[in-house]
Amino acid sequence: MAALLAATTSIATSSTGQEALPAFAAAVDLHKAMVYSIAWHFLHDRLAADELAQDVFLQLHKNWTRIQSPAHMVFWLRKVATHRAIDAARKRKAQAETSLEETDEPTVLERMHDSFLASYLERMVASLPEKQRSVIVLRYQEELELDEIAEVLGMNVSTVKTQIARALDLLRGKVSRRLEEGMDNDAI
Amino acid sequence: MTPFEDELKQALQRQEPAADFTARVLARCAAEETKARGWFGTWRLGAVVAGLLIAVGGTVYQQHEREVRGLAAKRKLILAVHIAGSKLQEVQQRVAESAEVDQ
Repeated sequence: MAALLAATTSIATSSTGQEALPAFAAAVDLHKAMVYSIAWHFLHDRLAADELAQDVFLQLHKNWTRIQSPAHMVFWLRKVATHRAIDAARKRKAQAETSLEETDEPTVLERMHDSFLASYLERMVASLPEKQRSVIVLRYQEELELDEIAEVLGMNVSTVKTQIARALDLLRGKVSRRLEEGMDNDAI
Repeated sequence: MTPFEDELKQALQRQEPAADFTARVLARCAAEETKARGWFGTWRLGAVVAGLLIAVGGTVYQQHEREVRGLAAKRKLILAVHIAGSKLQEVQQRVAESAEVDQ
């Protein structure tokens, strides 16, 4: 937190360029996991997520003097990362159309590994429609309230609620189907 | 929060990027700045050249305008001298005619 305060104090006093670089580096260190994870949970591709996160921080560097406070920086990063991730996911979707139903079931090895369904759920989230994916990532990764999600995505709170409910239904359905299959396999 | 949502939260925990992430971001920022400074230099040179062209062009144009105005004034003067000459001739002729009548 001290690093962030130091970073944003110098945001106000310094212009872009060499003098702002140490403060900017501190901000990157502090928020890289947030930005990278948003990209990762959208794209499920480490290289693409890394590149997207880098682009977001490059954009932050260009807009450095416009950032007014630590809270503004977090809001700005979440918003830019989410919107860039949506765009990137659309481009990828155009290249290779996949859907929740088409997504491969995990292999036996994966099943052994994801005893708590974590890795399976991650994959399922990455294959949700983009609106649902955004709200789920912001709700459960970033732990944002509904009104905060609405602000980041420029949606109504009621739309956010609906999208979360639909996404949870889809995910629950998929998981329970998987569990039933697992039980059937165990019985055999 | 339901147990399923807890599971989801667990699955969507934040993850750290590669260890050299910050260094790579800073390198890209530095490269962008250098590029931007290069562009700024080019723009500055362009602005200076454009300024010089405007100044030289302005001087040439003023010179041309002066020449055009001078030629017009010369033409008017010649015309005025012609008119004055013919009027003088007319007056001389009338004076000569009236002298003949008096004799």
